[in-house]
Amino acid sequence: MKALILRALNRRPPLPALTLSGIILATFVLMALIAPVVAPQNPYDPLQIYGWEASSPPGTRGSGGYLYLLGTDGLGRDIVSCILYGLRISLMVSVTSAAIAALIGLTAGVSAAYFGRWVDIVIMRLVDLQLSLPTILIALIAIVTLGPGIDRIILALIIAQWAGYARLARSVALSETNKSYMDAALLMRLPTSRIILRHLLPNSIAPAVTLIPIEIGHAIALEATLSFLGLGVPIDKPSLGSTVANGFQYLLTGQYWISLFPGLALFGLIASINLVGEHLRRRLDPRSRPI
Amino acid sequence: MALISAALGRLGQALLLLIAMSLIGFIGIHSIGNPVFNIVNIETATPEDIQRATVALGLDQPIWRQYLLFVGSVVHGNFGTSYIYHLPALQLVMSKLPATLELACMAMLIAAPAGTGVGLLAGRRKGTRLDRTILKSSVFALSLPSFWLSMMLILIGAILTGWFPSGGRGATARVMGQEWSVLTLDGLWHMALPVLALAIPNIALIARLARAGTIEVESLDFTRFCRAKGLSPRRILLRHTLPNISMPIVTIIGLQFGGMLAFAVVVESIFSWPGVGKLLIDSIQLLDRPVVMATLTFISVVFVALNAFVDLFHAVLDPRVRLPS
Amino acid sequence: MMNLRNSLHRLTLSASLILLAMWTVLAGPVRAQELRIATSYKLMTLDPHYANLNENTSLLSHIYERLVYQDERLDLKPGLAVSWRATSDTQWEFKLRENVRFHDGAAFTADDVVYTIERIRDFLNTPNGGFRSYLTGIKAASAPDPLTLVIDTDGNVPNLPLALSSIFVMHRPEGEGFQTTEDLNAGNPPDGTGPYRFENWRSGEMLKLTRNEDYWGRKPAWSTVTFRIIENPAARVAALAAGDVDLADTIPARDVASLKQRGVKIENISAARINFLQFDVERDTLPGVTDKSGKQIPNPFKNPAVRRALAMATDRAILADKILAGYGTAAAQIFPAGLPGTSANLRPEAPSYKEAKELLATAGFPNGFKVVLAGPAGRYPGDGESLQAIAQSWARIGVAVQPAAFPFSVFNTKRASGDFAVWYGGASGEAVDIILHALLASSNAERGTGALNFGHYRNQAFDGMLAKAESIADGPERNKALADATEVVMADQPIIPLYHLHHIVGFGSRVGSYVMHPRGWTTAMQALPVTE
Repeated sequence: MKALILRALNRRPPLPALTLSGIILATFVLMALIAPVVAPQNPYDPLQIYGWEASSPPGTRGSGGYLYLLGTDGLGRDIVSCILYGLRISLMVSVTSAAIAALIGLTAGVSAAYFGRWVDIVIMRLVDLQLSLPTILIALIAIVTLGPGIDRIILALIIAQWAGYARLARSVALSETNKSYMDAALLMRLPTSRIILRHLLPNSIAPAVTLIPIEIGHAIALEATLSFLGLGVPIDKPSLGSTVANGFQYLLTGQYWISLFPGLALFGLIASINLVGEHLRRRLDPRSRPI
Repeated sequence: MALISAALGRLGQALLLLIAMSLIGFIGIHSIGNPVFNIVNIETATPEDIQRATVALGLDQPIWRQYLLFVGSVVHGNFGTSYIYHLPALQLVMSKLPATLELACMAMLIAAPAGTGVGLLAGRRKGTRLDRTILKSSVFALSLPSFWLSMMLILIGAILTGWFPSGGRGATARVMGQEWSVLTLDGLWHMALPVLALAIPNIALIARLARAGTIEVESLDFTRFCRAKGLSPRRILLRHTLPNISMPIVTIIGLQFGGMLAFAVVVESIFSWPGVGKLLIDSIQLLDRPVVMATLTFISVVFVALNAFVDLFHAVLDPRVRLPS
Repeated sequence: MMNLRNSLHRLTLSASLILLAMWTVLAGPVRAQELRIATSYKLMTLDPHYANLNENTSLLSHIYERLVYQDERLDLKPGLAVSWRATSDTQWEFKLRENVRFHDGAAFTADDVVYTIERIRDFLNTPNGGFRSYLTGIKAASAPDPLTLVIDTDGNVPNLPLALSSIFVMHRPEGEGFQTTEDLNAGNPPDGTGPYRFENWRSGEMLKLTRNEDYWGRKPAWSTVTFRIIENPAARVAALAAGDVDLADTIPARDVASLKQRGVKIENISAARINFLQFDVERDTLPGVTDKSGKQIPNPFKNPAVRRALAMATDRAILADKILAGYGTAAAQIFPAGLPGTSANLRPEAPSYKEAKELLATAGFPNGFKVVLAGPAGRYPGDGESLQAIAQSWARIGVAVQPAAFPFSVFNTKRASGDFAVWYGGASGEAVDIILHALLASSNAERGTGALNFGHYRNQAFDGMLAKAESIADGPERNKALADATEVVMADQPIIPLYHLHHIVGFGSRVGSYVMHPRGWTTAMQALPVTE
């Protein structure tokens, strides 16, 4: 894999866009990590929120002694702080769910390829079932069944996303099993677990890894959509999506800042992840067609 | 014969999907809460009212029995009666279908040619600044969460400029026993923003596919041969490039059309467009189980049918499809 | 129409004919006396006895009428009945209006009322059943002559006329049996005596009505009335602002200012309803109520001092002014002050955090405690936001609140199974006593009290006072007794009244005036055209 990356890097000089989107993405992640330090307000602490300053336009000075740079929402929460804390939730939810979904999907896909027969049939039937429905619908059904809560959202996203990894991993693993080193491994009577863990899995990871950034982007959008539909995070812990959703009702009255700025942050986050993901994919998997 | 067995397999898979969906949906709705509380006026109801309502809806039965009763009546084409609207659930879904259909069709009618055109342009000028701009914009367009895109369209197209209405369906005309907005100017006016919200991500997606396809086709020997033969670029484009890239585009149009029905959930709620997606969300929130089940089943059937249609299209038109992919 | 016929108007009319024809294609014709209303009330059925919800009754009141009306002061006024009196402790006599005809031309008689009562009581088995409870005290109804209705009751039912003010009178069909809900929904034209006739409808989408030229009362002001059901508030506002409709109800408070800028006129009124916080005062421990370290503590809400302290620490002004944008009235009792049965002595208080904290300390909670405050999301205007604003208030006296909002049916399922310690609720009704009866009286299946008393509050002194008030016939004496009972129970703070929501209606230039009703109905009868 290392060789693969090096080869790819040698062949194509890094585009400026990679560095730019990479820097933006890194800033987002950093902001999310240090949100409690940099945010002027903790929007989750009712004692720090001043209800009488609800719906203040950007640039208002608040009783907390700081400037509401991007205004406040309908309850008096500082939008800048909401964005920073919302980034934390969005990233935490999406990265966790993408990682677990990738793990489950890879394991399922590789197992299906290696064991074949009924294992393959059962797993691939399940995958087909899921891929024959739009992910938004699966996430919707899952969250409705599971109930609200951040942990439930993560679970719903895993349920919605594992199948994509499984199908990819299976197809890669299938082509690997046909290669000569597999015959060698089988001839050497290596234990099954060793074959899967040391040979099949590592070789299937590279293509799957290219899928992860795209799926993280999807997960962020899905979480935001579920929260937007009122099926997501708790009301006193707003994510980016639910902040935008809360702002929708104020949109018509000209209080645009409640949904505009968090929405821009959400868009920037997904866009930078997608851009980085695209470059990553070109490097790791030069044969793939850009889609 | 292989076609028949494939079709049978498809059918079995679709049935399996429907059974799984119905079970999950049924138990899911059941586990959320009791729909009775949405039916009686809880601010004035007595415990007897609630009890009477529970019995009248058959909700006093054990859940497995309710499910069997449900399956039994579905076999006869009856999804039950909406708790809220007191209309047959399937009829209710069908009455909302034209609104969703016209939205999705219109969005696709815009997205398909626009996306193909932009993609062709980018592909034929591969590596130029135009190509890079198109490619980058498509990433941005695909990064827009659909609900935020819809809200920004309202902000710009309705609130700031006042050019378009912010929601609702507008005037409709009655054709074939259904109400259609496409047939009135006012209806088209109302459709503009939601159609854009559905079309924009699809333009980007189709453009990327068309671009990739064009690059691949143009690098093939026969295109070079055509060019060497002195065929006009226009002729190469129309007779060779376009037919060769149409396959993946038709595929994605088919798949995305189903996706639109699902994503209409978001767009329709924001634009309060009275379609199937909005019905689904409203019914989930009101726990109107017969309607939720009818809607989910309907969307699944459409999705499966579209998938099958796309595959069939491939099998008929593309001889290579029988080769292992 | 008459003045349209003079030559001046004819001139303008013919000149704008082509324009009109084009406009017809664009937006449909707007006739001079057509009223187009965008309503949040989704009409679910044409059966007037199917569901006791404003959603249905508001629109159906154009077609069907009641024996007795509640006016804007909630006082009873003659409807299809011109007078009524109790002939004994167990019998009422109603004199009915003469020369009233149903839309199909048949005369209205007492027998139709008997049919209506029997249909609700004996035939309909609607899931809602809401209307049946109004008739529980009725033993028999009879029609000694076409314009006299005699109702025998089980025991004394002093507020029978009020109960009948919720019942729409239907026409007894030919032959035996009762009309089913399906028949009515299928478009068999609903047949009432109301000022407007049914034209057509689409369930949950629209209702079209035409003027009843033979109406017994004042001639209805509009020749046609079209209701468009637009549940999304933003879309309703947009339709009004764009002039697609002449009138829209349930306008979100935050949109009022921008609508006024566009020349839309706004009317509003405090609703005859209450939104409140209710405590579980019965159980020994409560889910979600712990000390600051997370250890379960005994139910603090059993102590009236704790309830009082929390009430003192609740900033109702923020709720009314900020979250409801001024279109809510801070509440201290069941109905807005001034309506029958309210007390002039109960006024909403400004928050006094210092005193509240001291009171909480003397009650044994110097460090406060933790509590989950539950409520519905999106059921009432500002419900979810209210929970969070209250959390901000209570945090000041050391009570850490975790707001938890659920979809309405989930909320109710959980509340019914005892998952909550303190919650946000709403109650509405025809009169103060009906809410006191259901919300605050001790649960008693025999008397039918306490149906909404989910906190299991018991106060014998109040129960006695309420029972006494309920035995008095409608009038000032009854209202005084109800006000006294309210004062007694509010001193104990089993609930914290938060606010009375306002009904807000906006209307465009074609509507001259609109009379608001505290019950929140939206009807064409309340709207008058601009006088020329």
